[in-house]
Amino acid sequence: MKLICLVKFIPDVENLKYDYDNNVIIRENVKLILNPDDASALALALKLKDMKQNINVEVVSMAPLNVIPYMEDLLRIRVDRATLITDKMYVGSDTFVTSKIIARYLQDTEFDCILTGTHSLDGDTAHVPSQIADILKVRQMSNIVKVYEESFSKESVVVEVDSEKEYCKYLVELPAILSIQKESKYKLPFIKYKDLGLDVRDKLYIITNEQLNFNKNEVGIEGSLTKVSRTFVKKNNKKQKFLLRVDEDGIETVFQFLRDKGFV
Amino acid sequence: MQKVLIYLDAENFEDSVGLLAAADEIYKDCKYESFGLCINYFDDSVLDKFDCLIRVNDERINYYDIFNITNCFEDLYRKFLFDVILIPATQTGRMLAPRIAMRLQTGLVADVTGINNLEGKIEMIRPAFNGRILAAIVNQNCSPVMMSIRPNTFTYCNNSAKKAKIISYEPYHINPCGIKLLESKEKEKARDIRESKILVSGGGGVAENFHHLYLLADELGGMVSASRRVVDQGIASRSIQVGQSGKIVSPKLYIALGIYGSQQHIEGLKNVENIISVNINKDAPICSLSDIVVEGDAIEFIDKLIKRIKKYNNTKIKK
Repeated sequence: MKLICLVKFIPDVENLKYDYDNNVIIRENVKLILNPDDASALALALKLKDMKQNINVEVVSMAPLNVIPYMEDLLRIRVDRATLITDKMYVGSDTFVTSKIIARYLQDTEFDCILTGTHSLDGDTAHVPSQIADILKVRQMSNIVKVYEESFSKESVVVEVDSEKEYCKYLVELPAILSIQKESKYKLPFIKYKDLGLDVRDKLYIITNEQLNFNKNEVGIEGSLTKVSRTFVKKNNKKQKFLLRVDEDGIETVFQFLRDKGFV
Repeated sequence: MQKVLIYLDAENFEDSVGLLAAADEIYKDCKYESFGLCINYFDDSVLDKFDCLIRVNDERINYYDIFNITNCFEDLYRKFLFDVILIPATQTGRMLAPRIAMRLQTGLVADVTGINNLEGKIEMIRPAFNGRILAAIVNQNCSPVMMSIRPNTFTYCNNSAKKAKIISYEPYHINPCGIKLLESKEKEKARDIRESKILVSGGGGVAENFHHLYLLADELGGMVSASRRVVDQGIASRSIQVGQSGKIVSPKLYIALGIYGSQQHIEGLKNVENIISVNINKDAPICSLSDIVVEGDAIEFIDKLIKRIKKYNNTKIKK
């Protein structure tokens, strides 16, 4: 069986610095991390590979060339093939165009199931998995917190979805796109010590527009259907405030405030 | 007249109706025609709110059958040529909106928090980069305008007295769903943080002692909520997350403990009457929104405040 994991490397948003004078994100020396939900999806694929025979796992990512070392590390934890979709023409693509590009690669690739994350920490639009599903005309399910591994077959799989009010168990016919949440607690293994320097270059494939054949006006900023017209920092209305400390006076003032307002 | 279609998600019907507020925001004082799409669910309460209600009654379509619901949207769009399509950012809505946009070959903006209408060009505002900045997004040569909107983002006041025209629609191409619901179990009935008048909310600064917050929440008869940072660390459940990617809350009292107050968090605070923030950094963005800022350790604050409240309650009993 062939599993494809769509993954995204994102800037470590918690530690991102913002240049408020020039209104831009400081991108130099930003460390990339594998988007946590995507990492869970890949961890699930590797778990299935451990449990069952003849499972082949391919990782696909669309990104600039600087993610190559990160993708090589995925090959060192027994991913069978890593495909990097990259082209200068694709820079600035919105989610619509990104979905079209990745889907064109997938259309000519065999798979039984595609695994992705549900949320991404940077954009958090969750558009791409659903949009790819629509182009490939396959089913797609988000917010998956559990996959019943033993049920996984070429025909179908049973999954559990966290749908706000309840947990729902679904039988999903394959091929399909399953979008996993990190709450599933599937964890990627570490690279084994002996594999740290493993040469994996023969398993890394670079796909550019030479293979995918888009016209210039279909991709990148030009092909995108949405455009950021401006960015700004929101000014919040400042309130007249008290500044206190955690001492007797401070606590007393807070307490009186709560009492005056009827909270205690 | 411009036409707006709103998806009335059966799972979150009332919140979906609230999207009318977003349509009002787009058209301000201009007239527009509002359409609501109801699939296998209907509630009389919407009759006076929309101009038209499109009803689909087809038991072959389940609420989780995104593929066939997308087909319905596609057919209806071809028929009515809506100018704007609004989808509630519920779980179903978040799977549905991207598919519809792809099908209609139009742009989509997720989790819109503000709308400007610049002489007919609709500008959609959403927080970006973890809420550090706001981005204004426009469509480029495509229509309809499509956006997903989280419940409660725009405040809806119902003062319309419309009489909706009912349009029955029978879908003609239904594909096999390929997904079957085997069972569902209700989550333990935890109260929704959106319903609590008092929220004791914790961020990165109290992550290590997060359980302490429950002591204060119990004392005040409120609930505990959390910032995204704490949720991402796995310390608190996503169901109690406040912010753009969590829930939008409007308590009377919000006590922000060790919360920095990134823009994406502040997007989750709507019409909060009183904010008290406790932080070792008195210049954290949350502090500029607060009525009271306490500079110092939030856990120490909890303990001392609980003691003070207990003392007050004891004297009250004695009296």
